[in-house]
Order: sequence, then C-alpha cells, then structure tokens
Amino acid sequence: MDPSLYLDRDTWVHRLDPRTKIFLLVGMFALPFVFLNPLYELAVLALVLFFGYLAQSLANLRRIWFILLTILIVTTVLWSIVGSGRTPLFLFVEREALLYGFSNALRIVITVIAGMFFLSTTRNEEVGIALVRLGIPYRFAFAVSTALRLVPTVVATGLTIGQAQRSRGLDLESGNIIQRIRKHLPLLVPVFVTTVRSTNIFSMALESKGFGARPERTYYLHTAMSGRDALVIVAFVALLAGCIALRVAGYGALEGFSR
Amino acid sequence: MKEVLTMWRHTQMVVLVALSAAIYAAVLIPFKGFPIIPGYIELRPANAFPIVFGLLFGPAGAWGAAIGNLIGDFFGTLSLGSIGGFVGNFFLALLPYKMWSVFFRRDENMEENVDSGKKFGVFILLVLLASAACALIISWWADLIGLFPFALFFALILFNNAIMGGVLGPILLLALYPRVKRWGLLWTEIVEPEDTSSSRLQRTGAILVWVGAIGGTIVGLILGLGQQTPGNLGVGLGLIPFLLLILVGSFMLGVREQVESVEEAMAAEAEESEA
Repeated sequence: MDPSLYLDRDTWVHRLDPRTKIFLLVGMFALPFVFLNPLYELAVLALVLFFGYLAQSLANLRRIWFILLTILIVTTVLWSIVGSGRTPLFLFVEREALLYGFSNALRIVITVIAGMFFLSTTRNEEVGIALVRLGIPYRFAFAVSTALRLVPTVVATGLTIGQAQRSRGLDLESGNIIQRIRKHLPLLVPVFVTTVRSTNIFSMALESKGFGARPERTYYLHTAMSGRDALVIVAFVALLAGCIALRVAGYGALEGFSR
Repeated sequence: MKEVLTMWRHTQMVVLVALSAAIYAAVLIPFKGFPIIPGYIELRPANAFPIVFGLLFGPAGAWGAAIGNLIGDFFGTLSLGSIGGFVGNFFLALLPYKMWSVFFRRDENMEENVDSGKKFGVFILLVLLASAACALIISWWADLIGLFPFALFFALILFNNAIMGGVLGPILLLALYPRVKRWGLLWTEIVEPEDTSSSRLQRTGAILVWVGAIGGTIVGLILGLGQQTPGNLGVGLGLIPFLLLILVGSFMLGVREQVESVEEAMAAEAEESEA
C-alpha cells in the first residue's frame, strides 16, 4: 500500500494557493453540519465529488471505499437504534431516526472525502509553506510537512522488513484478522529503530544547511494568492452563507427526530 | 509545560517530532481497515507508541503523537472530532513523562525504562492514567459536538489505549530504551534544565491530574449513562472542572529535577571515564 496520496495532475485545483485549499477543507467541516436532511447532505456530497472530479482526484477514493461504506452502514444503523422519531418503520426503528443516521453518516463521509482531496491536490511542501503563511511557527510547520513526507518512507520500511522476516520463515498471511495483527507486531521494533536511528544524521544535515540559523528565512517555494483563489473563497463563502440562509428559512431540517 | 515550547529550539527534538509523527501515522493507517466504530475508532496497536514516545522523547513525543494521530485521521476518521484526537493524543504522551519522576526520589534511578518491578508498576499506572485522560478529552469533545455518546466512546478509547499500552508498551520500551540512550536521543539528554519548569509544585500537580482523570471518569460515566444521545450539555459542562484539573495539574508538573538528575549522572560518568 502506498500511503502517499498526492496525485501529480495539472488542474486549476492543484494550482490554487494551499491556503485556499486549507480554507476549503476547514469550510467542509462546517458545510455538512448546516443541514440535517439527508437529501441536502447528498447535494453537498455531490458538490464535493464534483470538486474531486475537477481536481482529477476521484481515483484516490478507491483506497478508502471500504471504510466509507462501513461508515455509511454502521453509522446509519447506530443512530437508528439510539435516536427516536414519530413514524415507526419496523421493530423499534423509526423513519426519522434512520434518516438522521444516514445524514450523520454522510457528514462523516463528506469530511473524510474532503480531507482525501486536500491531500490529493496539495504537496507536502505546500502544506508546510501554507502553515507558515498562516502564522504557524516555521519549525512546527516543518515537523508537520516532514512527517507527511516520511509516512510513505516508514510504510515502505515496514514492508521491506516484513519481506525480510518472511524470507526467514515468518508467516504473515495465514490466520484470522486477530492472528495476522499479532504476527505483524514484531515488525514494530525494527521499524522504529530503522527510522529513529537517522535522527542525528538528519539533524546534522539540517543544521549544515542553516536550519534555525536566523529567525527569518526565505523559501524556495513561492506561493501567492491570485484572482482565482479570491474567486474560489468568495464562491465558497457565498455557498456557505446561502446554505445557512436556506436552513434558517426552514429548509434542510429533519422534522420529527429527537435525541 | 515550559519544555513543550522551548523544545522547539533543539533541532534533534524537531526531527524527533517529525519521526514520531511519521511512525505513529504509518502504524495507524493500515489498521484503519479494522474499525471498531467505523469513522470514529479502530483497532489500534499503535496506541502503545504515544506512551513510549512520551517517555523516550518527552515533549517531542507528545507533539509527534498529536500530529501523527491527525495525519492518520486523513485516512478514514477525519472530522471535527479530530481536534479532540489531537489534544487527547498529546496528553496521552505528555502525562507519562511528566508524571514519571513523581514516583522516584532524586537519588533513585529515574531512567524511563521498565527494567525493575517498581518501574514496571509505575509504567502500568501511568498507562492507565494517560489512557483515562486521553479518553476523557476525546469523548468529551465528541459528545459536546454531538458526534458520539460519551459513555461508550470513553470505554472503547480507554480499553483500546490501556490494553495496547499495557501489553505492547513494556516490550517496546525494553527493546528501544537502550538503543535510544546509546544514540543520545533521550529527551532528558537533549533538553537543558533551564528549558524546563521547576519541580516545586510537582506533587500538587500530580494529585490534581489524578483527581481530574479519576473524577472525570466516574462523573463522566454517571452523566453519560444517564443520557441516551450526545449533544446535551450535561456531559459537556459537567466534565469541564475535571479537564481543567488535568490541564492545571499538567502545568504544575515541572520536570527540571528529572533533567538535572540526568545531567548530574552524565557529568559523573564523564568524570569517571576521565579518571
């Protein structure tokens, strides 16, 4: 499994300033929560998927389709049991509770997909520079972007160690889920050791390149907000405001559901 | 908590934050496919790492655990609840290293390993404390924003953290501590005493943290079991005093004594080798 999510495409979404994309991601935490009605949530989901289509990033959804499906099913079932409504459907399940469960499931799915598209269209270096431009101290932003960059490396190290252990007779494939998880646990120590062993060399390499030498630094990567970024931000704010106005006017609610 | 900010001056600590976060995320991501409650919580053997990171790397481990959890969330559990996950995992790694020296006198061996019965017992206690505090923070936040009912979420996170930390943690620590020490990467060897806060109020801070965690657990479960669904303010408001106790207690848990004792031990070793 390659956990690196970035898809190198030439789309207008990729060319957006990373701060704009962070703004859109944060906005996607708010937008799904405006409505309670699953039909409206489906409209929001369609919008997000359309955005992913424009960004040519739908391919990454294949990696998490199973997780998204289980979220949809289990969340809907859970809320159907825990919530209550006016209209009995079958056994102890009411229609309104089922719809609320489905709506809640869609909210979670929307935020997960939005996060996926963010990482699909934003390079690690852009994440770092965006955090700095947003006022986050450079060293913290550096740690975050370095961690993002190193995740695929650590996973690859784990896979290599697993293959080496297999060649020495470790059986990682057979057994049920719990047994297979237990068999993978001995790989944790070598992965940790292999990764952390490079700390001192990594630190020396950074300091030899002037890391932390001056409080102010310049950057190789330049980002700047353009008219397109402003347009996207204004459009999103207008969309969010419109959705809130709709909600206040009584649309998108779910009548009859109680917690 | 001074060292939580001053540690950023040290390049090695910055690198350790990045590496801890990367390891944690890399071990979390494959297990996103083994959900306990899909979209919220999954089977997490990686939960042993924050506690071990905290003991080995101190504040770098705490930041690494928080960032690593957030990165892992992008692979199937991203939501507003991730804010609670960030803070909860931060404290999951912070509390073990902050509380460690409370159990030892200054002239005792305070090395963060489990190579004695007492140290193993202290480790297990700290796993339970940190797991409870982490579960409290995350479940409180999830309940407050209407994501998931407190009681069930708290129980699942507590058991997930405590079992993985208690079973895998000692094994990892025994295997990793000697290596990390040999490489000079223990946080007590990198951070200077002046980077840390005084240990004067350490015992008071420890009591506050324990009261906050245990009290929050009891009150949270009573309030949480009394309500069917999240989003009511009973749990949201009722747990704030206990969360504040944990926070204030953490601020009072100075670690200067621990760092100074390591500095003294290193100086003594250097003198012996010269002699």
